Amino acid sequence: MLTRVNRSVSQMLIFFTLVVLSISNLYPLLFMFLNSLKNRPAYLKSPFSLPDLGQLAFSNYATMISQFKILNLFKNTLIISVSTIFFLLIFGIIASYAFAKLKFRGREVIYLIIISSMFVPVQVTIIPIYMLFSKIHLVNTYWAVVLTYLGMFLSETILLLTSAFRGVPDEMIEAAELDGAGYFDILRYVMVPMGRPAIALCLIYYFIVTWNDLFTPMILLTDMDLRTVMVALASLMSRYTGDPTLQFAGLVLAAVPAILVYAVFQNYIIKGIGEGSTR
Amino acid sequence: MKALARPNFRRTKAVHGILSILPTLAILLFIRFYPIGEAIYRSFTDWNGLYRNNWVGLLNYINIFTNSPFWTLLRNSFVLLISVPLQILIGLLVAVLLYEEVSGWRFFRAIVYVPQIISAVIIGYLFRIAFGLDGPVNQFLRNIGAAFIANEWLGNSATALFVLVFCLTWFSIGWQAIVILGGMSRLSPSVLEAANLDGANFWQRTFLVIVPMVARTIEYGAIMSIVWTFTGTFAFIYSITYGGPGYETSTIDYMIYTKFYQASANYGFATALAVILLIIILGLTYAEMTYTNKVSEWE
Repeated sequence: MLTRVNRSVSQMLIFFTLVVLSISNLYPLLFMFLNSLKNRPAYLKSPFSLPDLGQLAFSNYATMISQFKILNLFKNTLIISVSTIFFLLIFGIIASYAFAKLKFRGREVIYLIIISSMFVPVQVTIIPIYMLFSKIHLVNTYWAVVLTYLGMFLSETILLLTSAFRGVPDEMIEAAELDGAGYFDILRYVMVPMGRPAIALCLIYYFIVTWNDLFTPMILLTDMDLRTVMVALASLMSRYTGDPTLQFAGLVLAAVPAILVYAVFQNYIIKGIGEGSTR
Repeated sequence: MKALARPNFRRTKAVHGILSILPTLAILLFIRFYPIGEAIYRSFTDWNGLYRNNWVGLLNYINIFTNSPFWTLLRNSFVLLISVPLQILIGLLVAVLLYEEVSGWRFFRAIVYVPQIISAVIIGYLFRIAFGLDGPVNQFLRNIGAAFIANEWLGNSATALFVLVFCLTWFSIGWQAIVILGGMSRLSPSVLEAANLDGANFWQRTFLVIVPMVARTIEYGAIMSIVWTFTGTFAFIYSITYGGPGYETSTIDYMIYTKFYQASANYGFATALAVILLIIILGLTYAEMTYTNKVSEWE
């Protein structure tokens, strides 16, 4: 009896601590959302109060859309994210299939070389990449960013997918081959369905990473019409320092897509991180 | 059976294998290995990105070590590393709490990871605004009668670095918690039950029973976080302090960016910094590989 009471007390304590922790994680987001609905004087007067329901300032959002052309920025970022993920998965899946299931000379050595390049940070390579791309007129194109991302993320993708594909039983592939399945059939009907959790993790994880990234697009895209959301946000924040509520509206809009994707697919991410796949 | 009996079957597979890795090899050669080689070569020159490209030997490295803010950059990185034990300690406690699976724990687990989903740019600017001279933090301190603590937080090196450490810790707790929770899911529950029956309290159970069992996971989290502190903090520094005042909150990777945009472009100097960063990262990665032997675990 006593232990049961103790147990429920400790459960309550844990619950309460987790609530406090959740508030510390969510409060900054709530703070920026609430203040994006105020006008400047109201924010400066009391940043912690709730916005006045009678006069919510949706004008901040209207300004972001009309003057700041945030929809165009969304389009740019989406093109870059989706193309990166598309090529990452195509190249990653076929290479991982080879490393996991097709025997050829030098396979292990090549695999090790590819994986060992995983930790080389992009800052080390960015100046030579920029010079190379400016020589072949790729600077200020989506391709410049997509190619750089592929270089940054392919080895990690291959590490993840190869370990998933190694779990596919050889018998399944042999059975498919007996049925006359060729290279692409095996990929489509055996490897991809069997590796679905790992593929989904890559898809979601790299969407969030590329959506949120600042460094690479900031260096490779200087054209105003090609900038990504985060690059534009960085310049918004330094130019409109006088109007914090407008800035909050920009921050909120920029955060929404990644939050939505996470809200729907968080299980894949939590599972993937827990298995030690990504940082 | 027919397919397997075909004499060229093995060779077909090998050809498929090589063709399958060709796109990846081409991209990595073009976007990774060539630029790394180029960076190493140019670090021995006075390259300005255009025509000037004279061999200067170790001059860039000597300049970095004797006549540049390099030691300040390194000091800053080490100060930022204070965040690593903090995030691991708090992350560990959070993981232990989540492991109890109180009602709603899945929801809490999802919320714990939320900071990782938000762009560093957004988090950074929130912190910049929060710690501004008339920002919410100072306003809050004045409201509760602690105006003497209110400060120009980002205006001097000690407090600006403190804000950065605070921000990196807040950002990373969730990642550490989920990683450690992942490690704990491989434990057998009976050990923890035994500890409970022996009357171990929360702290004893956490530090004497759980920590030794997830030591490798913690080691992995620590090294990944250390590497990340050297390479992944650019957007935070850019949005919170712009590396300033002066170079007081810049790190090596931030300096590469600064040098890239300076009018008197000395890319030789910048690539030498890049090579030093590369050596630091390779050293840390090597340590990681030998400690946790992750690659062989996955095989």
